Amino acid sequence: MGKKELKVAFLLALRSLQRGSRSSVILTVLIIGMCFTNMIFLPALFNGIAQSVSQQVIDYEIGNVLVSPKSGDRYVNDVDATLSLINGMPGVERATSHFSRGATLKYRQRVLGATVRSISPNDEKSISPLYTKMIAGSYLGDSDVGEVIIGKPVAGDPTIRREDEFQPSLGGVRVGDSITIEYGNGYTKEYRVKGIYYTGWPTADSAVYVTRTDMALAEGKPLTYADSIMVKTKPGYSDKFVKNELLEYGVSQKVQTTRDLLDKSMGRIMQSFAIMNMVSMIVSIVITTVVLFIIITIKTLSSRRQIGILKAIGVDKEVIMHNYGFQVIILSILGIILGLALTMLLAAYMQANPIVTPDWSASLYLTPMDLVTNSLILFAASVVAGYVPAYQVSREDIQSSMRS
Amino acid sequence: MGDVEVKALDGVTIDIIKGEFLGIMGASGSGKTTLLHLLGLLDDPTTGRIVIEGTDLCNLTDYEKTMFRLYKFGYVFQDYALVPDLTVMENVSLPAMLRKDRDDQKILDDSHDILKKIGLFDRRDHLPRELSGGQQQRVSIARAMVNKPDILFADEPCANLDSENSRMVLDLFREINEEMKQTIVMVSHEPWHQEYFHRIVKLGDGKVISDEINGHGK
Repeated sequence: MGKKELKVAFLLALRSLQRGSRSSVILTVLIIGMCFTNMIFLPALFNGIAQSVSQQVIDYEIGNVLVSPKSGDRYVNDVDATLSLINGMPGVERATSHFSRGATLKYRQRVLGATVRSISPNDEKSISPLYTKMIAGSYLGDSDVGEVIIGKPVAGDPTIRREDEFQPSLGGVRVGDSITIEYGNGYTKEYRVKGIYYTGWPTADSAVYVTRTDMALAEGKPLTYADSIMVKTKPGYSDKFVKNELLEYGVSQKVQTTRDLLDKSMGRIMQSFAIMNMVSMIVSIVITTVVLFIIITIKTLSSRRQIGILKAIGVDKEVIMHNYGFQVIILSILGIILGLALTMLLAAYMQANPIVTPDWSASLYLTPMDLVTNSLILFAASVVAGYVPAYQVSREDIQSSMRS
Repeated sequence: MGDVEVKALDGVTIDIIKGEFLGIMGASGSGKTTLLHLLGLLDDPTTGRIVIEGTDLCNLTDYEKTMFRLYKFGYVFQDYALVPDLTVMENVSLPAMLRKDRDDQKILDDSHDILKKIGLFDRRDHLPRELSGGQQQRVSIARAMVNKPDILFADEPCANLDSENSRMVLDLFREINEEMKQTIVMVSHEPWHQEYFHRIVKLGDGKVISDEINGHGK
């Protein structure tokens, strides 16, 4: 096949699409576009959910690398020395410890069980975006004592009656109010509510945060231990690199990356998502392939005599085959462009109006690689679907074609 | 009922002389179209040879036959057989576009020349469906002539035309034959067409009944 033959094949294809049945072209492009959108929508939504959950877990629970007590230990001991060691390592942006206690919160006649988390507020800023999520009042300072920040669901809404609440709350705490916290060990103290936050991550939103100083008072001893240490990595350093560094530097606790933990906690969900994605993709590809196969088969069958004539006047069978091939290529490119446009519109819409549930909120998560991969898969399937009937009809002898 | 072998042509031998306007005539089913298709490499004979300037065409590969048809032959069919989605100009230039020895300017010039010759230059941007049957057949002749073929084959080119348009097409064939010394082999069953032919081969039941120089042919 030379340049001239390809030029003629392309001319025939282009003119057929330009001057043939316009409704057929529009319908075909629409079907391919819809199939592309269907192919990419569900995986993008599942990825959006997974990304949303993963990001919340990273932001509020584990950071990039989590140091937790080794087997048989209840706490990470000697926490200050461990933090000092970790903070000095290459690739570590910042590390901070978390220590939580179950407690009972009391406000007026309301009583509510909740987790009290102790943090080092300034270090926490390097790890978690919690400080950016304040909807009233302000974030904790390192020297704060007797002050607490609470999640919006814990604070509650004074306009909603207790029996109408989705989840129990303190019934409308405002910044500046005092709440009483009674810890499991019996220590009870009144705290001033310094701020109210809302992260969208239920575990964080149903907790209250105090400083480590306050927690040490509640514990009745210096807080030299922690439930865990969250580590934030510097840009350009992988979680795995930092994990290995920690282990090499002698951190004797259990060290896990985000991926390690998410694989354990979300592995099965992700597997289920992957199966659903695969089914959705296969269905879309099959629909596109079948539709294009039928369209090109009908086109070739209804043009058999014309194909015979073209061969008779000296048009090579390869030119005839590529004529239909180019038609499919043009249709699938237009379909994929339409699909990309629809997907981007959907993504923009869902960015503005994410799906919100009590546990997560999600929009479409699309990477350029997803778009390219799906485009190429659909394109390849389309080309195969178009070339098979084109190949068959172009191989028919002239007499059979002309007699039809 | 078993398969019955039908011999469309049997023992036919004819020579085509360069520059002549040869008419192949005969009743329906006499084998005229089969002979034309064999001569034009649109069908393969079970036995026998088709020799043009010393080359036995039956020995050519499929691709070589395609190239032979492109470079050496031109075809006119009874139903015009134009590509409906191409304009008159595109239809005419299509065979020339495939030739390796034609550049774009040459294709354009040749197509314009032949369209002027058939009197449809001003309709070059029209689609076939916008033309009358006679005009479409003239475009079909222009397409067949654009590559200046050695032989122009015409399979009942007037079958779908009224007598006025038929005469116009036949006059065009005669003009091409006389002015361009174009060899034409035309199949027809209309007795009045023979006035245009130099020579008439009459077929009956797949055999040559007569092969005569036509005294009326000019």
